[in-house]
Amino acid sequence: MNLRFSPARLRSNSTAAALAVAAAVMLVPANLLPVLNTETSGYSRSDTIFSGTVELWRQGLWVIATIVFTASICIPLLKLAGLGWLLLCVRQGGPRDSRRLTRTFAVVDFVGRWSMLDVFLAAFLTGLVQFGEFSSVQARSGIVAFAAAVVLTVLATQAFDPRVLWPAPAKASPNTSRL
Amino acid sequence: MAKDVNLTCRLCGHKHRLIRLAPGERALCARCGTVMATEGRFGPEAALVFSITGLILALPAALLPFVIAGKLGDERVCRLFTGVGALWDNGMRALAVLVFLCGALLPVALLGAIALLHVPARLKWHAVDIPSLSRTVHLLEHWAFPEVQVLAVLVALMKLGDLVDLTVGPGFWCYCAMAVCLVLAQRSFDFELCDPSPVPCGTDAAP
Repeated sequence: MNLRFSPARLRSNSTAAALAVAAAVMLVPANLLPVLNTETSGYSRSDTIFSGTVELWRQGLWVIATIVFTASICIPLLKLAGLGWLLLCVRQGGPRDSRRLTRTFAVVDFVGRWSMLDVFLAAFLTGLVQFGEFSSVQARSGIVAFAAAVVLTVLATQAFDPRVLWPAPAKASPNTSRL
Repeated sequence: MAKDVNLTCRLCGHKHRLIRLAPGERALCARCGTVMATEGRFGPEAALVFSITGLILALPAALLPFVIAGKLGDERVCRLFTGVGALWDNGMRALAVLVFLCGALLPVALLGAIALLHVPARLKWHAVDIPSLSRTVHLLEHWAFPEVQVLAVLVALMKLGDLVDLTVGPGFWCYCAMAVCLVLAQRSFDFELCDPSPVPCGTDAAP
């Protein structure tokens, strides 16, 4: 089995690894710093991504809490874990289940966009809820770090060349299979 | 419509000869099983029709109210760019630009690029650089997130339930329709036009 790859492909995966590490670093302030500040009738409250999700759950908004938790906490972590696993497999070389790894990459590529949910949510709430002292919502620095992490994970996925998961260029197939 | 070109799987790089697909059929990569192409159920003009419809809907989506919020007699109208403006005024300018790009500009650019890819083919006009435009479409697909913005607005509406009185405006419905048109245009996208690196090969394996 030929497992040698062109320098260009390996370089692209080094870029992907660097971007994934940068995204992992940005996820730390994204999860520690507040993302939203809500003021209602003189009462002020700052929420991180996690505390905001917990608050939604406490209010009985379980569906929304699950959506926000999945999009803002699970997906970024799973995406980075998936990319890390793929990069590790490429680095280790040797025989591998290329088909399964390619499917993993396809899933990572597909789900990544949904992490932007919290960014759009913060932008929309900041624009809509501006009623002075009665009620207002302000975006906080955590959302900037979170947006940076999302952008870096998308860039990392784009930089990763999934063809490196396959051993050698194959000959042309007579046709595609149908479904 | 036989085409003497290869279709290369974008994930594993395996090359295939093009075949003719029936409406609703999908072509899978023989090596990695990835869906490489789907023949839309709405006919050959669907991508053009959906992309132009989406472009038309983008205008009212940008101009008409998204949501009208009321609190103690005070009323606030929120449009597509209100959140962008609020972030910009808050000093979060990079974030405002990102939201503007991913939620508004790039979806419209993607619709425009899909339409531009199909109009010259329909008119048999070869002035457009199709490979470059195809690469642009593939790039834009990674950064245009209108469906995520729709979900975010729905989540916000449910979250705000008791805090303010909310009325959904026509701008939001136009934006939803534009997002649906974009998804349908992408699904109806003629893959024979969009292969970024067509390579001459043997006979077409059409049935």
